[in-house]
Amino acid sequence: MSILQTTHLTKQYGQAPNLVKALDDVNISVEQGEFVAVIGTSGSGKSTLLNMLGGLDRPSSGSVKVDNFELGKLSDEDLTVFRRQRIGFVFQNYNLVPVLNVYENIIMPIQLDGKKQDEGFIKEITSLLGLENKLYQMPNTLSGGQQQRVSIARALASKPAIVLADEPTGNLDSKTSGEVIELLKMTSKKFHQTVVMITHNPEIAEQADRCIRIEDGRTTEERR
Amino acid sequence: MKRQTSILHILTKRCFQKNKGRNLAAILAIFLTAMMFAALFTMAQSLEQNITEMYLRQAGTTAHASAKQVTDIQIKKIAEHPDVVNYGSSIVVGIAENQQLAGRQLEIRYADSQYAKYSFAYPSKGKLPEKQNEIALDTLTAERLGIPLELGQPVTLEWKKEPNSPEAVSSHFELCGWWEGNLSSYAGMAWVSEAFALDACAGAPAPSLDEGRILGLRMMGVSFSNHKNIEAKIAKVLSETGMAQVEFSPNLTYTPEMQYSIFMENMPIYSGMVLVFLAGYLIIFNVFQISVALDIQFYGRLKTLGMTKKQLKKLVFGQGNRLSFIGIPIGLIAGWILGAVLVPSLVTVKGMDTTASASPWIFIGSALFSYITVTASCMLPARMAGKVSPIEALRYTDADINLKKKTKKSKNGASLLGMAWANLWRSRKRTIIVICSLTLGFVLMSYFYAENASFDMEKYLLDFAAADYQLDDATNNLSDGYRPESQTISDMLLSDIAALGSVEETGRLYTHQTKMGISEQAQNNLKAFYHEERLKDFAANDPGFPNWKAEFDKVIAGQENEYTVYGADMLVLEAAASSNYILDGAFDQEKFASGNYALAVGPSTSPGSGLPTWAVGEKVEIAGREFEIMAVTSPFQPMVKGSGPVFDLPLVIPADVFLELWPESHLRKFFFNVSDDAMEEVYSLLSEYQKGGSMGMNIVSRQTIAEQYEAQRRSSAVTGYAISITTALVGVLNFVNSMATAIISRKREFAMIQSIGMTKRQLRRMLDLEGLFYAGLTLAASYFLGSVVVGVVVRGMEGGFTTFHFTLMPLVCCTPVLLLLAVLVPFLCFRNLEKQSVVERLRAI
Repeated sequence: MSILQTTHLTKQYGQAPNLVKALDDVNISVEQGEFVAVIGTSGSGKSTLLNMLGGLDRPSSGSVKVDNFELGKLSDEDLTVFRRQRIGFVFQNYNLVPVLNVYENIIMPIQLDGKKQDEGFIKEITSLLGLENKLYQMPNTLSGGQQQRVSIARALASKPAIVLADEPTGNLDSKTSGEVIELLKMTSKKFHQTVVMITHNPEIAEQADRCIRIEDGRTTEERR
Repeated sequence: MKRQTSILHILTKRCFQKNKGRNLAAILAIFLTAMMFAALFTMAQSLEQNITEMYLRQAGTTAHASAKQVTDIQIKKIAEHPDVVNYGSSIVVGIAENQQLAGRQLEIRYADSQYAKYSFAYPSKGKLPEKQNEIALDTLTAERLGIPLELGQPVTLEWKKEPNSPEAVSSHFELCGWWEGNLSSYAGMAWVSEAFALDACAGAPAPSLDEGRILGLRMMGVSFSNHKNIEAKIAKVLSETGMAQVEFSPNLTYTPEMQYSIFMENMPIYSGMVLVFLAGYLIIFNVFQISVALDIQFYGRLKTLGMTKKQLKKLVFGQGNRLSFIGIPIGLIAGWILGAVLVPSLVTVKGMDTTASASPWIFIGSALFSYITVTASCMLPARMAGKVSPIEALRYTDADINLKKKTKKSKNGASLLGMAWANLWRSRKRTIIVICSLTLGFVLMSYFYAENASFDMEKYLLDFAAADYQLDDATNNLSDGYRPESQTISDMLLSDIAALGSVEETGRLYTHQTKMGISEQAQNNLKAFYHEERLKDFAANDPGFPNWKAEFDKVIAGQENEYTVYGADMLVLEAAASSNYILDGAFDQEKFASGNYALAVGPSTSPGSGLPTWAVGEKVEIAGREFEIMAVTSPFQPMVKGSGPVFDLPLVIPADVFLELWPESHLRKFFFNVSDDAMEEVYSLLSEYQKGGSMGMNIVSRQTIAEQYEAQRRSSAVTGYAISITTALVGVLNFVNSMATAIISRKREFAMIQSIGMTKRQLRRMLDLEGLFYAGLTLAASYFLGSVVVGVVVRGMEGGFTTFHFTLMPLVCCTPVLLLLAVLVPFLCFRNLEKQSVVERLRAI
């Protein structure tokens, strides 16, 4: 059963004659527990796709279905709630809240949802990600790689349906990049967690179970 | 070099144009600062001008120095001295005796035009007399004499060539000019022509002040290039002209003591300026700090491109200058108008005309002060811009948390409350400045309100109004003394008042000056009381001290002196001898009525024995009758107010006993209470009587006293309120600006939090909480400091006419307003923020 599915997903910006088709009839589907990479050059529409999948933006036509929820039918407010419950984001620039320490950053989405965090699970992921000694540190005292680990921990903490990672290694050197991807892959396996990662780097994309290439708003499947 | 400055200029200009909203906040802040400076300067200048004018009118002349007895030759010689810039001279002819003048002294004199100008008596309509039969008067005198204000109207004066000559002559004149009369001058002037004056003097013996012959007396007023060191200037002129024998007295208004007292009157205003500077600094600094912080990456880029520290600083100061250029001029105009509106309420002297000064110094001074404030405020932000490191700037966010904090031992900070609290301290300096700025305004407001609220009308009325109505004889306040034979308060008037049937209680007051010696005990009391330090203090505060001291020395040397004996009963006696006025001894009404006892009136001081007058239990002989001193009282204003000997040791005896001693006496003052419903009836009766030939009679009603009190209270409140309200306003502006910037600069961060699952509602709640924390902290600080200031400082000032009440009323009133703002500002900013979608905001850098 696919956990994520898009049908005839189209996103257009502007009006004719300046009409830009960022996404053009995209049909993809991701299975539970898969680690999928979306690869494309800059301007190919990969970020737009990610925004659609995460419910940050609305399609011009077509639909996005995540965990059996039809995103187009949700209100803005419901979308937000949907996001914090079923989607974990990992951003290129980490996007940690500067006034919160590592632990608080990780549990923030759960707290915002008014739920109690699963301490055992948090402990498990933080030790897996090598953060157990840094829980009380403020984000600005951490290195980029460490910050991205916090961001991954945050994305996993709420046990979401999918983790969406937007160029998670874009700000990191190659060694750290490798480590971060390794961690993403490892957690995906360990927790049977679906991960959709966007990148422009073919080497990084190769690490994934499956690769979807996107170019000028159209997707092509690359199977290995 | 030229090109370099011009590119800097262009940058300054473009930066300025880019940030319209931010500039508005800065201009508003500068405007408020400049406005308050201008208003305060206007008030200070006007107050000084008005008080000086009042003193000058009391002195009767604007001349820097005047001589009361000179000869024509001396006048000519002095006038020729190079230091003398201007001079005027006058010839005394006599004193008018017309009945209608009702005690107001009217001197008949010739004056040249400069002397008339010096004396505030230059005709505003018509001209000074030239022909023998011409005369110029002030409007008050003309009114009393019943002469319509038209040129050529006949004027008849009954006058005496010498004050003590028995017969009066009658002369007829034609009115040739008049000027606005003023009650604060001690005597009126009637100018006649030189021809008339010389004619009148012909054949008269040489005038001499010592022997009381005033006919033909030449007087002179001179002025110098400025009013500094007048005494030295006179001495120089006199010695260089070889006329050391001529006596010139400097104008009291220009003595250092008077100048100091004028300065002290303005003290609250000057301290207000310090507060304005502080408040202005707090906000302008904050606005610039925010502005530089938001643009720091821009400054970093400029530095990367090769701009030096100095140039960057110049860029910031350039913005300050541009903003000042707009904000200060508008502020100056608004401030001057505000000041002009407030000036009248500052002046407590009744009937004094007030004018708002438009001296260029007001504008120069306040512009300078405002500009200094702006420059001072720009200093730190400019340094911050100058010090920017190109690399760091790219990472810098306005909401930079302080780097000292590396870890935070907490697990529940991710709640909305925790985040809001943490956000508040992201830029600790700014939060503290905003809280200080608001607190300053609120505490000042509380202080001034509490101070004003502590004014106690009851205490004031107790001291200044003995009855519903008090009538003063027309001669009560004359500079040359009260005349017991004057009958302004006539028997007819008294019976008319009695006939109204609404009079409830009365009080009579007679006085008589009698020459007597004082006991050795009293002399010792005087010597002990007026020790050196007290005398020094006295000398510093009272320009009349030298005269007083001369009399004092005579008295303690054992000489006889004139003292006032009061004959009082009922209302006035009860008030004057009420328990809070008794300084020593005890007042027993029945014993006192027996006629064997007297009260001695001492100075206004704290109770005790050894007061500088007769001691309790001493025997004193008044007009051949012996009295025992029953008690010493402090002076009761409604009783003692009026002219009297320079050095006086007054005594009070029962009115009936007084009439036995001096049966010819007439009432000096009359006090009476009437039933409430008859107030108006009585007032109209009195004012009718006043108009019918008793212009000089003074009517004091409890009502007028209350009004006077209100004026005093208003005066003390107005500056304070103006300052504190502006300060609070500045604080609020600061608060709004900070809140708004804090939200706008975190646009991206909010988008990020929203993207990982914070709902709009939660975000709004968090912002509301931030605002409420801000407001809460401010209120906590304000309530605490306000309580301290009110509870300690204002309480400490109790005394005189104030009774302390603890009140934080303004703070209580401002609390809901501040809380509302704390919610409203985030709400409005958030609405603005919402116009952009999360994705757009996430992308924006």
